[in-house]
Amino acid sequence: MALTLSSALRKTWQTLSSIKTGVILIILVVIFSAAGTIILQRPMTEPEDMQRAYSPAMLRLLDAAGLTDVFHARWFVALMILVSLSIIAASLERFPNAWRYYARPYKSPDEHFRRALPTQAQIPVKDEEHALDAVERALHKIGFKPERIVRTNSFSVFAERHRISEMAVYIVHASLLLIFLGGIVDALYGWRGFLMLTPGHQSSQIELRTGSTRTLPFAIRCDGAGEDTYADGTPKKYWSKLAVVADGREVGNKEIVVNDPLVYRGVRFYQSSYGRTGKLDKLILNVTPASGPRVNREISLSQNETVALDADTTVQLAEFIPDYVVEDGHVYSRSNEIANPAVRLVVTSAKKNSSVNYWLPEIPGIAENASSPYILEPKDLKTGVYTGLQVSHEPGQWAVWAGVVLMAIGLTFVFYVSHVRFWAVPVADSQGKRTLWVGGAANRNRDAFDVKFKHLVDEIHEELMAPPASAELETLKH
Amino acid sequence: MSRAKAEQQPATGTTLIVLVGLGIAFLLFMAFLNVVKSGPILNEANLLYAALIFYAGAGALYLGFGVTGTESYIKFASLATWAGLIANTGAVAHRWYEAGHPPFASLYEMLLSFVWTLAALTLIAEKRYGVKVIGTVTMPVAIVGVVLMQLLRSDVRPLVPALQSTWLHVHVTLAMLAYAACALSFALAMMFLIQDKMKTESFMAATGVFTLGIYIAILTRFERWGGLNVVAWDADNKQEMFLSRGVRLFVTIPDLGWLMLLVCATVAAPLALYILARVKRNENFLAIANRAVFVSILLQTLALVFFLLRARDGQYTSLDADGLYRTTLAASPFILSGLVAGIFANLLYLLLLWRRPDLERHLPGADALDRITYKTICIAFPLLTLMIAAGAYWANRAWGSYWNWDPKETWAAITWLVYAGYLHMRITRGWRGRRAAYFAILGFAVVMFTFFGVTYLLPGLHAYA
Repeated sequence: MALTLSSALRKTWQTLSSIKTGVILIILVVIFSAAGTIILQRPMTEPEDMQRAYSPAMLRLLDAAGLTDVFHARWFVALMILVSLSIIAASLERFPNAWRYYARPYKSPDEHFRRALPTQAQIPVKDEEHALDAVERALHKIGFKPERIVRTNSFSVFAERHRISEMAVYIVHASLLLIFLGGIVDALYGWRGFLMLTPGHQSSQIELRTGSTRTLPFAIRCDGAGEDTYADGTPKKYWSKLAVVADGREVGNKEIVVNDPLVYRGVRFYQSSYGRTGKLDKLILNVTPASGPRVNREISLSQNETVALDADTTVQLAEFIPDYVVEDGHVYSRSNEIANPAVRLVVTSAKKNSSVNYWLPEIPGIAENASSPYILEPKDLKTGVYTGLQVSHEPGQWAVWAGVVLMAIGLTFVFYVSHVRFWAVPVADSQGKRTLWVGGAANRNRDAFDVKFKHLVDEIHEELMAPPASAELETLKH
Repeated sequence: MSRAKAEQQPATGTTLIVLVGLGIAFLLFMAFLNVVKSGPILNEANLLYAALIFYAGAGALYLGFGVTGTESYIKFASLATWAGLIANTGAVAHRWYEAGHPPFASLYEMLLSFVWTLAALTLIAEKRYGVKVIGTVTMPVAIVGVVLMQLLRSDVRPLVPALQSTWLHVHVTLAMLAYAACALSFALAMMFLIQDKMKTESFMAATGVFTLGIYIAILTRFERWGGLNVVAWDADNKQEMFLSRGVRLFVTIPDLGWLMLLVCATVAAPLALYILARVKRNENFLAIANRAVFVSILLQTLALVFFLLRARDGQYTSLDADGLYRTTLAASPFILSGLVAGIFANLLYLLLLWRRPDLERHLPGADALDRITYKTICIAFPLLTLMIAAGAYWANRAWGSYWNWDPKETWAAITWLVYAGYLHMRITRGWRGRRAAYFAILGFAVVMFTFFGVTYLLPGLHAYA
């Protein structure tokens, strides 16, 4: 029983670590993510739009299969976990070999290796020591640091460069896992929400995407918000002045704009939207007495505020209608957008015990503007603004960025840095003549390597032809 | 016979060079006359026009080389490409200076940068890797790009807040470089298939599938009673018209849908004949299929002409709103590029059909092409990775999340996965030759879908490009 269990485990491990499984998993991820971009997705699409796009039966089917929210479905998460496991298994399966290769470089090639190596050359030489010196000088010339290897029964020269390149694939795989880890941490512990503020107000209640509310241990106060536009009216900049309030005192502030959020204790506040609340902030009026001396006065009113015009008369802003329409002698608001605003002011005289409904603009049949002791003219209407803040907490993002940097490094090594090795061994050829065996290997970019190898062989020839030490000897012989 | 040909060629060769040279000189002279009247010489429009003329000259010479194989064309074609690139650089620099930001903010600016990258890569591929006929493919693309730019709104528009970020420039630059490298790997893979003795009719089938795909995509805008839906154009603001945030207003051009359906059928005909030939094992069908390709090119040209005539400044009704609305060519850049790309692909097929031996003679060997394709992807893949990373970082700063699974993002990830699959198969499984070439082609198809298809067919956050 134990034996079958272990064999089953081994089989699972082998399947998981095979490149075939990896590619099949990649294909599955591709298919399902493509489906997720073609089929309308739940949280982003309104339910009505979903019902319009698909028949009820179809929608039930899609919902049941989790295809209306692919990227958050359990089976998609499971698929991603399988991908991670496959990467881990494939890396672990191949890593020990690669590590051995990396940690203990093969420096002294035996006969078997020498026969099998594809890139090699044989140079006839007179003296072994002299030949190896020449190889060392030639290697120095092409920028390598040669190493003399002395074994009990042989001696040779070895040089290499960029051994780290053998590890590059594992760096890339590790970086991918790091990115996944960041994503998982964010999926488990991160949250995203929305906070709407009007200037002068503060809040610590974040409306989460999931529909629930989260209370922060600190509050955010909005000290102002606005929009700057270009000359042609297109928006140039949205800004909000935010302050962080903790334990009743301000602990920080920042003017945020799109692309530049406020960060406090790992919670990030982004400028997301900006608009008018449809509520009145201030109404500026020009007041003139209906009779008597024409003295102008400017007053400012906010909702329900009462201002005295003289000792006897007061005016109150009773009603603000952002988008008015008159029907059957009544005034209604068509929408909450400030498209066609109207205000109802009540001018009250204490002595006469009378009050007048003063409409701006004057609505015929309803307004009693004519009987007011004062003429009120609108000068300016200041409406309230709000700023919408996207709030997010992503504790895993540092793992993601670290993973990205690591991946960039890893890919650089994978594609552009190759592990180049050269060996030189003095041997006797089949006829027993002394020759120098020179071999080389590169793990990638073999075309460039072949050129380099030829260059090295040429250099060795050159060094053998003109050895400074034995130059006099040669001339003496002649 | 062969000697007669050898003697004959230099004569015709010189003729073409002289003709192209005269054409360039004539067009430049005409342009110069206009410029003298209108004032500043070195403005963007003039520079772009000069680039267009030189690219067209280079394209003609590269095509001449592709068809006749006269070596001397290449030298002049390179010279013309250099001249075009210099003018193009001037236009990019002018744009950058005027706008105060690198030219990546609108479709117009992205095309400007894309054409520049393409011309630069053409010269690199030619000089460094000796792939001389690459201009035959890339120069017509560059010409189409510059012509398309004339249709798009080109005035310097201030950047909306979300686009005011350095990371955007990094992201888009990387995207352009990566996509250009992918395009190059695609062209090289195609050349490999030619050198690898892939049957000419297989190329016909592939061209057929590609063109059919374009027309099916266009026909997703087919409206009842034979109309074709196109986006309405707001002439005052010079932009697409919106019903509400993110929802474009479509107008219906009557009868154009029927024409597209007809063209779609003629495009499908060679493909059907090819399948018939394979099933019945009868070569005769292939000859008919080649004629059908010819007919389909004529009809595609007809479709393009009618589209140009009907969509240019017309007024049409809409299903979603009352009244008449305008539309212009600039409102439908994707339909337009689809139509042009279809014709272009079929013309390339004709070039292959008629001049295959000449092409084979002038391309590098299959092994070399296979290796260069791999090298190009080795450049494209890290660029794709960094492009996605820069985009994620920007999204994190602008929208509060580094990954939103929006369609463009998802498809960028899919592209990345496809190339990752290619690399794994090549490195660990030793995939070479055909299979690797198919993979490279698939990768580029996904890139094209990410670039055009997602914008055109799928909704999402990436409303800017």
